[in-house]
Amino acid sequence: MPTVVLMDASLSMTRPVSLDQGSEELQRKNLAVAGLTMLFEHMASNYRLEFTSLVAFSSLWELLVPFTRDYNTLQVVLVTDGSLGIGKGSLRHSLQTLKQRPEDKKFPLPFPFPAKLFIMCIASAEELQMTDTMDNLEKLLQLNGGDGQIFTMEGQLCLKSVQSMFGRLIDAAYSPFHAVLRCGNLTSDVQVFPRPEPVFLDQEVDPLPKHVLTDLEIVGFIEIGDISSPPVISRHLVLPIAVSKEVDDVGAGAPEELEEETSANQQAGKAPNFCVLLHGSLKVEGMVALVQVGPEWHGMLYSQADSKKKSNLMMSLFEPGPEPLPWLGKMSQLGPISDAAENPYGEDDSRSPFPLQPPVKRSYAQNVTVWIKASGLQTDVQKILRNARKLPEKTQTFYKELNRLRKAALAFGFWELLKGVAELLERECTLLPDTAHPDAAFQLSHAAQQLKLASTGDSQYSLFEHNINPMHTDFSGGGVGV
Amino acid sequence: MKLFSVSHKTAFVVDHCPYMAESSRQQVECDVLTKSRGQGVIPLAPVSKSLWTCAVECSMEYCRILYDVYPTKKLVNYIVSDSEFHILNSWRQEDQSTHELMSALAAVGPPNPREDPECCSVLHGLVAAVESLCKITEYQHEARTTLMDTADRVANRGRIICLTNAKSDTHVRMLEDCVQETILEQNKMAASSDRLMPIQQCELVLVHIFPQGEDTLVSDRPKKEVSSLLTSEVHSVRAGRHLATKLNILVQQHFDLASTTITNIPMKEEQHANTSANYDVELLHHRDAHLEFFKSGDLHMAGSTSRDSGLKETVTLKWCTPRTNSVELHYCTGAYRISPTDVNSRPSSCLTNFLLNGRSVLLEQPRKSGSKVISHMLSSHGGEIFLHVLNSTRSTLEDPPSISEGCGGRVTDYRITDFGEFMRENRLTPVPETLDADASEKIPSERAKAQLERHTRYWPMIISQTTIFNMQAVVPLANLIVKESLSEEDVLTCQKTVYNLVDMERKNDPLPISTVGSRGKGPKRDEQYRIMWNELETLVKTHVGGSDKHQRVLDCISACRSKPPEEEERKKRGRKREDKEDKSEKNCNKDTEDKSWQESERLKGALDREKEEQVESEVIKDSPDSPEPLNKKPRLEEIQLPEKAKGPVSLLTMWTNRITVANSRKHQEFAGRISSVNNKAELYQHLKDENGMDLHENGKAAR
Repeated sequence: MPTVVLMDASLSMTRPVSLDQGSEELQRKNLAVAGLTMLFEHMASNYRLEFTSLVAFSSLWELLVPFTRDYNTLQVVLVTDGSLGIGKGSLRHSLQTLKQRPEDKKFPLPFPFPAKLFIMCIASAEELQMTDTMDNLEKLLQLNGGDGQIFTMEGQLCLKSVQSMFGRLIDAAYSPFHAVLRCGNLTSDVQVFPRPEPVFLDQEVDPLPKHVLTDLEIVGFIEIGDISSPPVISRHLVLPIAVSKEVDDVGAGAPEELEEETSANQQAGKAPNFCVLLHGSLKVEGMVALVQVGPEWHGMLYSQADSKKKSNLMMSLFEPGPEPLPWLGKMSQLGPISDAAENPYGEDDSRSPFPLQPPVKRSYAQNVTVWIKASGLQTDVQKILRNARKLPEKTQTFYKELNRLRKAALAFGFWELLKGVAELLERECTLLPDTAHPDAAFQLSHAAQQLKLASTGDSQYSLFEHNINPMHTDFSGGGVGV
Repeated sequence: MKLFSVSHKTAFVVDHCPYMAESSRQQVECDVLTKSRGQGVIPLAPVSKSLWTCAVECSMEYCRILYDVYPTKKLVNYIVSDSEFHILNSWRQEDQSTHELMSALAAVGPPNPREDPECCSVLHGLVAAVESLCKITEYQHEARTTLMDTADRVANRGRIICLTNAKSDTHVRMLEDCVQETILEQNKMAASSDRLMPIQQCELVLVHIFPQGEDTLVSDRPKKEVSSLLTSEVHSVRAGRHLATKLNILVQQHFDLASTTITNIPMKEEQHANTSANYDVELLHHRDAHLEFFKSGDLHMAGSTSRDSGLKETVTLKWCTPRTNSVELHYCTGAYRISPTDVNSRPSSCLTNFLLNGRSVLLEQPRKSGSKVISHMLSSHGGEIFLHVLNSTRSTLEDPPSISEGCGGRVTDYRITDFGEFMRENRLTPVPETLDADASEKIPSERAKAQLERHTRYWPMIISQTTIFNMQAVVPLANLIVKESLSEEDVLTCQKTVYNLVDMERKNDPLPISTVGSRGKGPKRDEQYRIMWNELETLVKTHVGGSDKHQRVLDCISACRSKPPEEEERKKRGRKREDKEDKSEKNCNKDTEDKSWQESERLKGALDREKEEQVESEVIKDSPDSPEPLNKKPRLEEIQLPEKAKGPVSLLTMWTNRITVANSRKHQEFAGRISSVNNKAELYQHLKDENGMDLHENGKAAR
């Protein structure tokens, strides 16, 4: 998640911090800068792909370092001493008049996108509680939907305690996610970026968040065409990391260490890594690896290429649950092809066991009858009449359409229609030209009679599952009568 | 939406009393005469639907849309009420289909106008609906069973949609009171039963239907709370088109649906096949498919227009050509089932058939600026059509580093093709669930993982780390040995493979030993075979735990391979590092056989690092069994001749060999002499090769 850092640059930030030993005079601003430096250094070494932006504000604001792109989620780090100011425009005043603001000047919170708000106070909790500052800051968090945290300094205001506070922020939001990717006995240590966030499902039945495990276990492989652009809840880069290089704790990665690290990376570049092998084969074969990331939670690994032909191993996570993709069925029921009696992909890879067909067809796939609009009913009646005029050639289609109409009319209790169509068929019978096949007249009057019987509601003739069958006639060449 | 929200259970109560047989007075002309046939024919009088027919077909349409969008977990219980109640289906999933309901409705038939109106009431049905809402569904049952001690999390809520013709507002209040009382009564009973659950929340939706041309006796009323358990709302609607529109709006409200209209669908004209016109088709789906528009406040820009009565909104998306192909993996943030609003219309069925035939279409969001944003995709999977939401915002992962820049990125000889083959063998397939599944049997996905484990016990990642996997001759054995169990025939095939290798060794066939990272010709032929046999043993040993038959394959290898007394050899070499390796190797053999591969992998890693330092080395050090660099310690035993195996080496041979070795370091040996047998080199060998009689030196022969 990209980060915006909001740095309080108001005058109160220049208040000196009282230190016991009159060593070096420090301002709150200096402490804030020290904390942010630590945060940025951490990101530079352990969270390199994070995008950051820095905004300084007092009564006005200035964008010091802009983002180069737009994003749909954000992390906001607000650094302040907690002096909320007074009068119009102050946070206190803004919160009090929240509901009186005009439509075009809405309070910026909640953000119109999902965002976490971290408030770093260059002040101790006691100091903030003496006034109503803490309450106001908590209100800010609430306005943001409660997603975020307020950090305060513990103990005396000094470099050490500001570092410990930023250390807590790093632990909470910027610790790299390390995992082991496994495919049987082939493994690779990886960093997953951005770190997978916990997911909440139906909170009523299952209030606990689901976490991605640090063991990412490949279950098997599926063709891209078979998995066919599945919906995913998040995407993450899977970056192989060198085993020997244990990532240090908070505050690691001072600039002088960077060079060493680079050479270590170069070294690691030459040792074979499973991620690279997997990525290469996934790319060549056009496949994805199905990976289990938790109990009843899966994702897929695939090769993701950008426009510059750079490609990387990407992991997309499906919605947690036993059956995230209906066309694959239950994840737990996916087994090796050796389980099947014969290869479901065919000996020449010409077939596929996917997608799975649902047990019941959807309405648009089963020629349902809907007469809500008059045109629907008219079309169905015309279809029958059109075929009636082409008897006996169209005997099969004629009865098929007739039975479809009959079923719907019976279900809707629309007996009047059955009588009406029977009359229409009788009329067609009288309108038959002399050249007509004799079978046509027989079939028409038979069908008309059957419809009339059904319209009486007599259970012998109005069974839903019953079909009107063509009449048996003796005319040689009488079409497909039987 | 919560699984057990009010939408989990919907009870339809449709009034079947005599007054419902009354005509809706909406007439349908079903005899459309064509010009040519029009003359002299009296057209059929228009037909009109009864109130009952209107109620049934609109409720069926509600169910059709519901089942299209939610094939499971959203359940309907259909009840018909006259002098008594008739329950047409149950909450069970297999009872949930419009076909089932239509069949049951046909058996009920239209209301009997001659029945005594005094005995008939919709109340019977409402009481039955409340009773039915107390009945536990299979999903509630399953959730309660899995949650065990927190089973009380499973809620019981439901909705009653009552289609009736009420007398007055007072009549409506009486119906509400009756439902409220029944809930209290039933909840008492449910409290003491296992198969019943008390109702926690019930939504009563009363739809009063009256014929066209009449004034309504019942007033519309928005949702109000009757009690903490019951809310009620009243809709007073004319039969026919208005009722259909009303239920369409209700199904959208009840199930969080939204509407999208696909515009500019090019379609061939029915009459003139060579012309094409553009059509619009409206689809319903879960409203989350529009989430991006809501978030960005773009809804109006996205072409949202009010339709018909202005009660309903639809988002317009434009059909996009060219179409996409199925082998492209789109970044898709959601996929939602759709249902066409007008399922039978020609444009709708053209679109759905197009999609059901396996084609996908991208949809474009119309923007004022004229920039093209593809925001959605329509695609079918197994006979179901989904509206996919494609990500159109930019992401943090736009400019990632290339994999070649990271760990292992510089290695160039990965066995990409072999791993591709491996992936194809480890593709997944859906295994039908068996009812009488053996509890001890592993579930299919666990079996898939177990297969991956077996197939990777020995799997070198790069070409220069392996000999056997570069040899066509080893393929039959390598493919079989990873199997969980071997047949007699399999063992025979493996043995044949081994004999074949023995034969190759006897003939002194060259092996595809990698020369990556080494200069010159690499190890001698017999050394190559020693490496090959060792590697083959390593592979087979990892599977010996599997069965006796696997053991027999290993036994066969041990018996057949040429056996230079390795241990002695090593002692002669007498180098510390070698000793260490030996120890670790012995430990390996003593310990679990399975671990030896990982161990050797680790050592390989160590060796590889060493290789970097010794660029001068003349030898590939791809396995712990690799020989020492020749230039450092050219020993006699390294260059044994084939005769050696037959008996003691003569002094002459030893001397000749020594001279040969000494000389070989001064000049490059003739290619012919290197591959000669008994100092006789066969000429024109390449002809033989071209006839496909031999292996390729580097890499496998094409499969």
